[in-house]
Amino acid sequence: MSRVYIMGGAQTDFERNWSKEGKNEIALLKEAVSDALNETGIEVSELVQLNEENRIGCFVGNFIAEEYVQQGHLGALLTEVDPAFYGIPSARYEAACASSSVALDAAITKIQANEYDLAIVIGWELMKTVDSKTCGDILGRAAFYEKEGKGIDFPFPKLFGKLADETIKKYGLDERRYLDALARISTINYENAKRNPLAQTRKWFMDFEQARHRGTETNALIGGKLGISDCSQVTDGAAVVILASEKFLAEKGMESTKVPYVKGYGHRTAPMLFEKKMKDQENNPYILPWTRQTVVDAYRRSGLTVEDIDVFETHDCFTSSEYAAISAFGITEPGKEYVAVEDGRIAFGGDKPINPSGGLIGCGHPVGASGARMFLDLYKQVSGKAGAYQIRNKNGRLPENAMMLNIGGTATTNYVFIIGRG
Amino acid sequence: MGIGESTGMQIETVTILGANGTMGRNIAAIFASFGRAEVYLVSRTMEKSIQAREKAYISVRAESVKERMMPKDYSDLKECVEKSDLIFEACAESWETKVEIHREIAGYMESSEMTDKIICSGTSGLSITGLAELYPEKLRKNVIGMHFFNPPYNMTLCELTPTVYTDRSVFDYVLKYGKSVLFRTMVEVKDSPAFLGNRIGFQFINEALQMAEQYKYNGGIDYIDAILGPFTGRAMAPLVTADFVGLDVHKAIVDNLYKNTNDWAHDTFFLPEFADRLIHDGKLGKKTGAGLYKTVLHDSGVKIRQVYDIEHGYYREIMQYRFPFVEDMVEALKTGDYSCAFQILEENHSQEAVICCKFMLKYVLYSLTAAREVGYNIHSADDVMATGFNWCPPLAIVEAFGGAGKFIRLCQERLKGQQLEAVDLGELKETIESSRYDYRRFIKAKR
Repeated sequence: MSRVYIMGGAQTDFERNWSKEGKNEIALLKEAVSDALNETGIEVSELVQLNEENRIGCFVGNFIAEEYVQQGHLGALLTEVDPAFYGIPSARYEAACASSSVALDAAITKIQANEYDLAIVIGWELMKTVDSKTCGDILGRAAFYEKEGKGIDFPFPKLFGKLADETIKKYGLDERRYLDALARISTINYENAKRNPLAQTRKWFMDFEQARHRGTETNALIGGKLGISDCSQVTDGAAVVILASEKFLAEKGMESTKVPYVKGYGHRTAPMLFEKKMKDQENNPYILPWTRQTVVDAYRRSGLTVEDIDVFETHDCFTSSEYAAISAFGITEPGKEYVAVEDGRIAFGGDKPINPSGGLIGCGHPVGASGARMFLDLYKQVSGKAGAYQIRNKNGRLPENAMMLNIGGTATTNYVFIIGRG
Repeated sequence: MGIGESTGMQIETVTILGANGTMGRNIAAIFASFGRAEVYLVSRTMEKSIQAREKAYISVRAESVKERMMPKDYSDLKECVEKSDLIFEACAESWETKVEIHREIAGYMESSEMTDKIICSGTSGLSITGLAELYPEKLRKNVIGMHFFNPPYNMTLCELTPTVYTDRSVFDYVLKYGKSVLFRTMVEVKDSPAFLGNRIGFQFINEALQMAEQYKYNGGIDYIDAILGPFTGRAMAPLVTADFVGLDVHKAIVDNLYKNTNDWAHDTFFLPEFADRLIHDGKLGKKTGAGLYKTVLHDSGVKIRQVYDIEHGYYREIMQYRFPFVEDMVEALKTGDYSCAFQILEENHSQEAVICCKFMLKYVLYSLTAAREVGYNIHSADDVMATGFNWCPPLAIVEAFGGAGKFIRLCQERLKGQQLEAVDLGELKETIESSRYDYRRFIKAKR
């Protein structure tokens, strides 16, 4: 298998509300794609040339544009972005909030198999086209809608609230201590977002006291024990990642030893229904065993361990999912996640920083874009392009390896990627 | 190193005077939230201060800040001043009121050893130097203008003004504190009437008001607003903004600028007669129910927006203008075709498109003129307009037009006389830098 290199990409400003700007998905895609090409120094004429030789493909990640903007056939829709896309093979990939990870996986596979030399991966979602209740209902389709979503207000906060309850029960945790750890997770994500010029919440205020006082007017309970501060917010946005073969790098005169590449991946599917998930994990030390397995697979494929990973991006759609990710990554043993939170290990200055971008809670969660956004953030971290949110180790060195976890539904689809240098 | 380590300064306790006002209480919330400061809310009565505390946390959407805010009244002022590291005056925009209050603060400080407290005024136009001179010499070094914009949680701009007396290390500390602790966009501006943001913004708005009078036979107020709508890089049309701000406040700002500045745009600060008449009749804008616009409740419960018809002197329904150039621009912007939209603006020679284009060119030129006089570099105009008004900042407008070369050619073609002579276009081409802001988010696909 050939190595897959990461040229870079672009993310739109997640603070923007495209409906308020009066702009549609074509405007969103035009900006994201043209910014990504500018960022990577690739000309439109090069796309045309590669296309003539059938060496390029486009991979679109999107969850549910049919509901949000009444549009399907999203691979083909790229032809509206620029005539350069006429003829370029492109298709849409879907796995709820892990949609753009599937798109990445497909793109990586094509380059590994020497089918294409350049792949453009575009994750996007416009969610602010509807009110928040309708938005919550649409997102319910990422669960088993008939049984878990239909007729329920905000089904996902409730499901991840149940994950919190089950976590407390499984490990016999002190409830206050656990909920305070979740509040710290939220606070860290908001703090990190302050350093990210593209983060949705970069101007918002949040502190530990606010995050830990749930059930108040400004931090209402929304799913079981979880408050608004435990949730990621509805976001509009797109993220583009451009992947290349060694051949393409050579054509561009780039030295492949200096370009980050994909070191490993994991992809596993857990039972769709949350209830079945909980039954499935009863005899396993991990509350989300398939999520853990996905991480283990990625470590195995890359030949790396948790010791080698300098920075993480995880899917904190809710604080309870980031909490479970801590042990899934192997940072602590299962049931002891709160220790890593309390000791500051996952904070910006910690030894295993999670979500320096702000994550889904701080940076934003345009569902179909989140996987590509995390992947792009890993690239920025290992290549020293993360600006004010750049992670460096104690010696001032840039991260060598970075890992992301992107989930769809209630950790039903699980995707992990490791990228690194050297 | 922490932000105050070199100076030994810290801002842990803050007193806000005039905390019952909208600005006062929302600024208090900024200090209590991001700044984690203990904040004394001082108003004329305890009741007003308690009300301010009940409202302030809403602006930062966090009840957690409530416990850091202590309601007080003027009888407690001495004690508040003694305990505070920073005293922020956010009282009514009247020189007499401010003199009285600052003299009182000065009185408490003079007699003691409190020479290290920072004294700030949130005035939007009065002389900071004049306020500093109300203090004995040993305290003048700590007086700074700190001008927030409304609403402060959303508008991150904070214009910081030193005077000739200001101690640079105090000033630098506050600048750094504002930026890294309060997460504000801190812009240093000179002690000049209305400072920078309002000078640029109200030049634009008042000229729009003058044009509304000039084009009153075409419809006037709603006609001009339809020409300068969100597709020109703002969330709200300029005269809707004036109505929102209040005509009395608008008048205070432009009168001050008309009286105390003298540049090529001087005449555009003259308030049109019809606006004076509306103010006289108590029609100040949104806050009084009627101004340039008016909302009336129909019997059926439907709200109807009306506009003041300058020619006839009454309110009528807003005209649904459909200018071809606007329709075409909005259509292009909807799909993110910015260059096409600006080409339409350039190539359409209808009266409306010509007015629109001229306004945008002049906005950039005046911003650069004002930035030179009141600010310290070319980017300060961008900062104030983007983060204080949420308008597409001037350098970003240049980029939207297609860059400096194109912009200058358009200026030469469209503008004449004073406006052109005032700006050295050759030099401008050399000095114009690319904006730190992305024009695309400001230019809306909306009428």
